[in-house]
Amino acid sequence: MSGATLEAELYESSSKFLNGDVLASDKEIQHLKKTNGYRQDKYLNGHTLGHKPVERQKRTREVKEHFEPPTLIVAIMTHISFYILMFLGYLSQMLFPPKVIKETNRDGYRPMFDRFTAFYLRYVYRRIKDCWNYPICSVPGSEVVLKERVTNDNGWTFQFTGSKRKCLNLASYNYLGFSENTGPCSEHAIASLYKYGVTTGGTRQQNGTCEIHRQLERLMAEFLGVEDAITFGMGFATNALNIPALIAPGCLVISDEKNHASLIVGIRLSGATVKVFRHNNMKHLEKVLQEAIYYGQPKCATHTPWKKIVIIVEGVYSMEGTIVHLPQVIALKKKYKAYLYLDEAHSIGAMGRRGGGVVDYFGCDPKDIDILMGTFTKSFGSHGGYIAGTKEFISYLRQHSFASAHAWAMAPPLAAQIVSVLETLMGRDGTDEGRRRIEQLARNTRYVRLRLEQIGVIIHGCDDSPVVPILVYLYSKIAAMVRILIEHRIATVGVGYPATPLTQGRIRICLSAAHTKEQLDYALDVIEKVADELGLKYSRRPRDLTPIDYHKIKVYTEESL
Amino acid sequence: MLQSIRNFISYWYFRYLLVTELYMVEKWERTMFHIVLFIVLSVLYIFNTTIMLSLVKLLTSNLFHGGDTLQRDKLVPVMQNSEL
Ligand SMILES: Cc1ncc(COP(=O)(O)O)c(C=O)c1O
Repeated sequence: MSGATLEAELYESSSKFLNGDVLASDKEIQHLKKTNGYRQDKYLNGHTLGHKPVERQKRTREVKEHFEPPTLIVAIMTHISFYILMFLGYLSQMLFPPKVIKETNRDGYRPMFDRFTAFYLRYVYRRIKDCWNYPICSVPGSEVVLKERVTNDNGWTFQFTGSKRKCLNLASYNYLGFSENTGPCSEHAIASLYKYGVTTGGTRQQNGTCEIHRQLERLMAEFLGVEDAITFGMGFATNALNIPALIAPGCLVISDEKNHASLIVGIRLSGATVKVFRHNNMKHLEKVLQEAIYYGQPKCATHTPWKKIVIIVEGVYSMEGTIVHLPQVIALKKKYKAYLYLDEAHSIGAMGRRGGGVVDYFGCDPKDIDILMGTFTKSFGSHGGYIAGTKEFISYLRQHSFASAHAWAMAPPLAAQIVSVLETLMGRDGTDEGRRRIEQLARNTRYVRLRLEQIGVIIHGCDDSPVVPILVYLYSKIAAMVRILIEHRIATVGVGYPATPLTQGRIRICLSAAHTKEQLDYALDVIEKVADELGLKYSRRPRDLTPIDYHKIKVYTEESL
Repeated sequence: MLQSIRNFISYWYFRYLLVTELYMVEKWERTMFHIVLFIVLSVLYIFNTTIMLSLVKLLTSNLFHGGDTLQRDKLVPVMQNSEL
């Protein structure tokens, strides 16, 4: 098949799906082609309506990515000790069968629950369960109050001791520090309670739409620099229920290896074919794209092209701390005429000079991204998710998405909180608070990452990503570190399998604009001590030990690019 | 002095527990593991010293202790060749 026909076919197939209008008549397509600025010779970027060809970006950032593989000996030790753990687990399961509910009178049935998962939960996770699911009893701001508990039977059951412990909070996704119970944002949320009530009691299509939803959507669209936006009551459902509305069997999804579970659920629900590319690896992405276009659908007549190709990536990956290489992804997307779905759950608010997510961070044009998705659960201190894009696209979603038809609309106080946060970020409240928070977060991030590098622990991710995973590899070290840090009144999250590969346990630190330098210094000093004590200084890189001046760190100025 | 030695030992025992994941298991499992490890190692030791060593001795004794004229005969031409 020659290149020209291929391109024509691609255009034909994608034009049908333009704005999701599957059954568009020829006349309509002709009309769309005109408004699209469609030119026979040069089909540029035609998926966004009324959009000029984009010149090359002047302000592109080089993202520096840290990745240090473990030394061979560490990798071997990790595996051996994992087998020891498994051996002891199976041994103890055999000798003392767990006192859990068993299915009886089930001869001939296969067990209902996955064997390995059950084993894993009982004999690996249970032993260090006290490091997770801590009950809290305060606002998770820069500090959080943990309710203490003890276990007398190695993690099978817990009892509250009645005491509380106030900890520095390095565990919440509270990037901009908007998780507060005082201040203008929460006051606005409380005021909206009196006006709209606690909940909407309906879906967006039936009785659930309030004035505040419309206001929020307009504001969000303006904040992101796109035409329209739609909001949903839950971030996970935004992904899981909207992807099936966009993608059908016969489409190809090219998904990053480390994508969040909600995206994976959505893709599976849609029934489309999935190809996975290596995490943040643009060469591999291009190869997968090329192969998709060369070979077309495998099960159809030879070289039937895919109905459409959608690339799904995240802005900031919450387990890796890496940032997507957005300019390169956009270039590839334009080259191969694929759609781009960008999940900005962790980056909206937290990245970029205006808090506009990775799009803002790289200075890209938001209109180059077909589907902008994000959640309000992280930086906004609220709950819910949004999807933004062109007006036609959002209208299509309003009608056809399961989430707008069958899921309840966002509660008005939550929407009010987001509205006031957005106004703060856009500087509409007449203060400099939004900018201050964004800069504080960026400065905290840089500072902590530089200091951790000096300490000599292995951290992953990019310099500017507010999620900092510290690699510790072993379950014991995760548990020991979390326990010791809580002793020192610092709350962090340990992450292990299944959120990470089996032998890549890590401690994750999430930075916030609410942290002050003193708090971070305290945390870093403790981490340094603990890292020495537990032997976490795995890094073999040369270190630069010149002291870092917190106030001189340049953020979002021309020099910091 | 005694105290510092004890501290040193207990600290490195703790580090040992950490890297073998024994830190997070129960005490009896830890003991069990050490017993199993001890048994495996001692069986290996006994196996090596008795069976393996005598086998190796049997197979290689000719190489080291000669006694066999054939072998010496074979060696001679090789020496001559290398001198040439
Ligand atoms: C990338 C990504 N998408 C979606 C979600 C789901 O958002 P929510 O927690 O608001 O349901 C998360 C949450 O962790 C996420 O990390």
